[in-house]
This record gives sequence, C-alpha cells and structure tokens, in this order.
Amino acid sequence: MRRKIFFFFCLWIGLGLIFLMPLESQAELFDGVDTEEFNSGFEDRSKSDWMARSDERMEFKEKSEPSFPEEEVPEERIRDPLEPLNRIFFHVNDRLYFWILKPVANGYQRVFSKEVRIGVSNFFSNIATPIRLVNCVLQANLKGAGIETLRFLINTPFGLFGFLDPAQKEFGLEKREEDLGQTFGVWGFGPAFYLEWPILGSSNLRDTLGYIGDLFLDPITYLPSTPIRIGLKTYEKVNETSLRLGEYEDFKKVVLDPYIAKREAYHQNRKYKIKERK
Amino acid sequence: MILIRLWILILLLFGMTTPLFSGEPQEQLQQTTDKVLAILSDPNLKSPEKTKERRELILRVVDERFDWEEMARRCLARHWVQRTPEEKREFIHLFKELLQQVYMDKVEGYSWNKIQYEGETIDGNYGTVKVKIFTPKEQPIHVEYRLLKKGPTWLVYDFSIEGVSLVNNYRTQFNEIIVKSSYRELVKRLKTKVSQP
Repeated sequence: MRRKIFFFFCLWIGLGLIFLMPLESQAELFDGVDTEEFNSGFEDRSKSDWMARSDERMEFKEKSEPSFPEEEVPEERIRDPLEPLNRIFFHVNDRLYFWILKPVANGYQRVFSKEVRIGVSNFFSNIATPIRLVNCVLQANLKGAGIETLRFLINTPFGLFGFLDPAQKEFGLEKREEDLGQTFGVWGFGPAFYLEWPILGSSNLRDTLGYIGDLFLDPITYLPSTPIRIGLKTYEKVNETSLRLGEYEDFKKVVLDPYIAKREAYHQNRKYKIKERK
Repeated sequence: MILIRLWILILLLFGMTTPLFSGEPQEQLQQTTDKVLAILSDPNLKSPEKTKERRELILRVVDERFDWEEMARRCLARHWVQRTPEEKREFIHLFKELLQQVYMDKVEGYSWNKIQYEGETIDGNYGTVKVKIFTPKEQPIHVEYRLLKKGPTWLVYDFSIEGVSLVNNYRTQFNEIIVKSSYRELVKRLKTKVSQP
C-alpha cells in the first residue's frame, strides 16, 4: 500500500517537473491554444485588439491595478493531463465527505458551541504562524511579516494561546494567508497542472511541493509521535469542517460539473491570492 | 450643545461625501445592496410564512441591477453565436433561474454584518466595484463586481468572490459539456438543476 502511494507520488512529481517552469515560458506554450478558443465568442473585438490589450495589461500590472475589463482578456485555464485519475480521487473525496467527515463533524458541532469551535480554529491557526511568517519574508512582504509577528505576540499571551483573536478584533490586524505554493507563484512559477489528492483535496504540482515544504515549518510536524500528529491534523480538519457544514452541499447544488467547477475555482483563487499580496 | 451640533455637522458632511466621492457604478450598486439589506432586515418580512414574499421582493431588486443576457452570452462565449434566438431566450431564462438560486442561497444563508466599499475603476463603459463583506464567523470576503454601462444605468455582468469569477467558472463548465456531448445535453442538465428544489 505504502509503495503504491509512493509510486504514484513519484509519477506525479516526475511528470510535473517536465511542466514546472516559469510563467513566461508557460505562457508561450499556452499561446494560441486557449486564447483562440475563447476569442471567437466575442464578436465585438478583433483578435489583434485583444492581443494588444493583453500586452498592455502585462506592462500595466507592474504599476497599478489594470483598469480595463478583465473579461476581455481570455482566462488561462489550468492544464489537467491527469483528469481521469483526478476525477476518481474527486469522487473518493466526495464520498469521504458525505460518509465520514460530515457525520463526524455534525456530531461534534452538536456538542461544542460555535464560539469554542472558532476558538479551536484560531488556536491551530496561531500555531501555524511560522508558515505564514516565513512565506511573507520569502515574498519580500515585510509588512505582512510584521503583522504576522505582531498577531502572534498579541494573540498568544492575551488571547489564551491564540484561542481568541484580539489582534484582529482590537487592532484590526488581519491574518495573511500565505503559503509556500503562493511564494513559488510570486517567484514566477506556474501551477504546472491540476492535482486532486485524496483527503487533501484540490492542489496543483507547484502547491503540492509547497505543501510538503510548509510541513517543515509546521510545529505539529515536530511532535514526537505519529499518532499524535495525525490525530491533531484530523481533529483540525473535523473542526474546520464543522464551521463550514453545508457549504459544499450548496456548491454542488449550483454547478453542473462539480469537478470542473472546483478545479477552476481553485485555480482562480490561487492566482488571485498570489496577485493580491500586500 | 456645541458638541451635538458638531456631531450633526460631521454626520451631514459624511452623508454628503459618500455620493460625491463615489462614481456612478458604485453608487448604483450600493443602492441595490442597501435595498436588499433593508428587505432582509425588515421585521415584517422575517416570519417563515413571509419567506416567499421576501424572496420575490429581493429578486425584483436584484433583477434591475443584473444583466442576465450579457452574463449568459459571456458564459456561452463562442457557442453563443451558433444559437438561434429561441435557444438564446430559453438559455437566458434557465441561466437566470440557476443564478438566482446561487444568489438567494448566499444572501439568505449568511448574516451580512457589514459591507465596506473598497473603490472602483471605470474604463469607458466598463467598471468594477470592490466590496469587502464582513461575516461574523471568520475573515472578510472580498467580492468584485464587474459592471457594464447601458444607457444611464450600470448593470452587473459578472462578479468574483475571492478571485473566483462566476462567468469564468460557468464558461469552463458549459464549454466542457458542449464539447464533450452537445448543447442539448447542457440545456437538459440546466433544466434538471433548476427544477430541483
């Protein structure tokens, strides 16, 4: 069993390294493929106009926010060469949610009040400060790093080891959700291709490598025994799910192909997070 | 006394500056959002037997601000041109029904504590308005509305939540279904989705 997982992992990494390259060269590969496909949908703008606009945008981005409508530039979609396999894992995750995670989180939710569960969520988030702090530094986001440091220094002693979040409530210091996958993105690496991991869910090759790297920054990794580590991670997952019950169900209600909707949403959200760092 | 007067003056000033400094798209969007929030917080409409009435009121307000045809056109993208006028009409209707489900779920499901307007951009007939929605539960949600000017009114043709654009997401789904099976199949699936409670 272990060997099989290891084999698949190596396969993915191997395939990924071929694709993992800086954004610019990836854009060359994408040129004329997806662009053209979406282009013909809009009658009002000629192709050269579009191209000119997207060029303009690239230069403009450096200075300030783009001021023209985003839709006029066709979205680059994420590659999905492993779609059949990913779909199997999507299905597995879907069943895991409905058969195991949801009933457990439901029971848990009945026992503990919302305040307690938010507190637990804050506590885990406070422990994971090194991940966000280091990644802020790696992204040369000193303001973010400062905020994360302050948040930790305020919330640990004055917020019951992070259960409460006075840094946000009293001082308006918002958490910076940064991770290594985003850092790689900031450095110019593209997502390579989409991956759906069992249990862990949506990812791509770049973010998977980032996830592995982040594990080294996660204090939970350094706990002495494996059952404790896995237990804590599982508990964190159940707690998070208990705060988000119903969201996945709502999502499935309004989409026609949940796999594709989830994949695209993940891709767009990651791009946004990489772009919107402050 | 002086303090009270000062307060009134400050309040008046703030009341005046908001419409003065915000441009048309934000102003118009804000009107719609305020109307929806007013309906949601109306104590006369809170009881469960009034839910249907409340929904209809909200839908009417939202309907004035959303350009369903533009949304549908953008979601179908290159497949739009190939549709007959009847097909287009049917599609817009189905798409609108589906989106209203999305919108109503989101509007009724969450308690919107506070909405903060975070600026707008205007480029000819296109505009964007950035909004931050504070929820009691967790981190604020960033929403960006995209609007198109038609006559004097600005109409929403897309919005993105944390960078996930609604039109882009549906466009990819619709494209996959049409390419892999057919437009008929897409309509069939839309119909079953809409008919589900």
